[in-house]
Amino acid sequence: MKKYIVKRTLLIFLTLFLITLLSYTIIRIAPGDYTTLKLGMEGALKAGSISQEILEQEKKLYGLDKPVIVGYAEWLAKFVRLDFGISRKDGRPVLTRIGEALPITLILNVISMIIIYIISIPMGIVSAVKKDKAFDRVSSLILFLLYSLPHFWIGLILLLYMASGEYLNLFPLGGIRSDWAAGAGFIPRLIDFCWHLVLPVITLTYGEFAFLARYTRANMLEVISQQYIMTARAKGLSNKRVIFIHAFRNSLIPLVTLMATLLPGLLGGTVIVESIFSIPGMGLLAYEAILSRDIPVIMAITTIAAILTLAGILAADLLYSLVDPRIRLEAKI
Amino acid sequence: MKAGYWGVLWREFSKNRLALAGLVIVISLILLALCAPLIANNKPYIYITEGKVYLPLFYDIITNGKEYAELKGTDLSKEKFTGFKLFPPVAYSYSEYDLDSIVVPPSRKHLMGTDEQGRDLLARMIYGSRVSIFIGFIAVIIYVAIGIIIGSIAGYYGGWIDMVISRIIEVIMCFPTFFLILTILALWGPSLASVMLVIGITSWPGIARIVRGEFLKLREMDFVVASQAVGAADRWIIFRHILPNALAPVLVSATFGIASTILIESSLSFLGFGVQPPTPSWGDILSQSRDFMDFAWWLTFIPGFAIFITITAYNLVGDALQDAMNPKSLSGK
Repeated sequence: MKKYIVKRTLLIFLTLFLITLLSYTIIRIAPGDYTTLKLGMEGALKAGSISQEILEQEKKLYGLDKPVIVGYAEWLAKFVRLDFGISRKDGRPVLTRIGEALPITLILNVISMIIIYIISIPMGIVSAVKKDKAFDRVSSLILFLLYSLPHFWIGLILLLYMASGEYLNLFPLGGIRSDWAAGAGFIPRLIDFCWHLVLPVITLTYGEFAFLARYTRANMLEVISQQYIMTARAKGLSNKRVIFIHAFRNSLIPLVTLMATLLPGLLGGTVIVESIFSIPGMGLLAYEAILSRDIPVIMAITTIAAILTLAGILAADLLYSLVDPRIRLEAKI
Repeated sequence: MKAGYWGVLWREFSKNRLALAGLVIVISLILLALCAPLIANNKPYIYITEGKVYLPLFYDIITNGKEYAELKGTDLSKEKFTGFKLFPPVAYSYSEYDLDSIVVPPSRKHLMGTDEQGRDLLARMIYGSRVSIFIGFIAVIIYVAIGIIIGSIAGYYGGWIDMVISRIIEVIMCFPTFFLILTILALWGPSLASVMLVIGITSWPGIARIVRGEFLKLREMDFVVASQAVGAADRWIIFRHILPNALAPVLVSATFGIASTILIESSLSFLGFGVQPPTPSWGDILSQSRDFMDFAWWLTFIPGFAIFITITAYNLVGDALQDAMNPKSLSGK
């Protein structure tokens, strides 16, 4: 086990190294370096309002005067000391900006993940047990349709009908905090925060829980068709016991690993959801950074997203061996 | 009668009525996209006046944008041009604007209403389908091709080659893909080609994994060993013997892939990183509707619904293919 964890950790560092190197290279070799955008260099230089000297200074500040490999090495050296540089947009350290945005996105994702699992697992099981009955058919069809609904469309429609005031004015239009909540106590602030999260969480969850419920159902059906279930029934165990004690536990195994694959998807999905609902999390930060070519922020977000994904995969693998002793991790690598 | 593998597949597939409906939608959309200029155009098919016969639409298509010298610059939809005119079902082009009818609700004149520049929404939707279908197919073809080549090399040769390729696949799977796509498009400038290429280049690991798995299974089979024994070249064995047997799961994955590529493309367009105006795309139409959505419901609902229906159709087909391929469903019925 120890050997496995060491190996995996090494692999994680290698993956992280490759991902950041690739991202850095892609950004650096892109046409038109990004200092030009900030200062409007092309135009300003011609007009003579900004000297060549300032341009060079600016390039130096972001390591653009050096070759890609040297620039990357410097970025890496800073990253090891957790120094992501300074955001070009407002001159604050990137780490501070991420420190503000990451908790919001994490809360959003953790809540969504919990809701996804709470709704989809029971639904999947009931569908599997009542296979081809009315409940199964109807819920399968609904889940299928939900799965194909584009997030950005549903986000807009929810905003229009539930928040804009044109129809219903149940929820706030966006953001995560009302003006009145600034001076209020903890409980009202918490309620206000949750109230702001309702629509974004709905937008973020419906597609994934549809996916997970379908997945649970398929898994459960797979398990029910196994011979040991037949044996259990043949022994005369009650249906309830067979389903919950024998089948359900085994159908849980793939669901654990699935968490790892859901996580990056959720993080990607937040770009759209956060920009629709103007939630100041990682997704919106990423979107704005990309729009303003804020390279230090882009690099930091790519790195953190990759770390989260890798950690998710590692956690899933470890959990996998925990819930299923038959899996020997040493053999996997 | 003995049906081949694909024959059995089709028989199983065609039992699923919903999937057949999905297939009909998929095929109609492809035809719609291919024939868009013949369906939505402000030039008549045929125009007869003073004994002369003109075929403005076909002339335009054949000569790639030229007009009859004597009709040059004339808007034939105006009433002063008398004579026999036969217009396409949607007598507007996607870029033809009419500032006298801005944001008009659906009516007999404009079946889906008009947008903020007075352009006919139906015509724009029909042309927008081209972007979705085109990007969907080309991007998936690119990544399926890459995935098949890399996956078959890994699966067939095994050993250290497989080791290296599998690690590369793992690295790419940890990449925050959507974010990478956004970054590349923002830095390189969005266009039809770059959207397709970026999706194509980043999405192949899934296919490569499937193909690798199939190859690992198939390469031990007697027919492969037999052709190795008679000295067939590796290329021959890979492409003529193993690959045809590994294609079915690739087909399923590619079908789902088209659905998710269409979703990614429309999300990118929605965020402003997709195909640039004046070329219409569904995501872009939806994104533009944000400013008018409190009174122009059609601008929000129609493009969103089109994306939804298209994705659902592809998912239905993919789902049914998957069921049809599952040997359990064969023996069960």
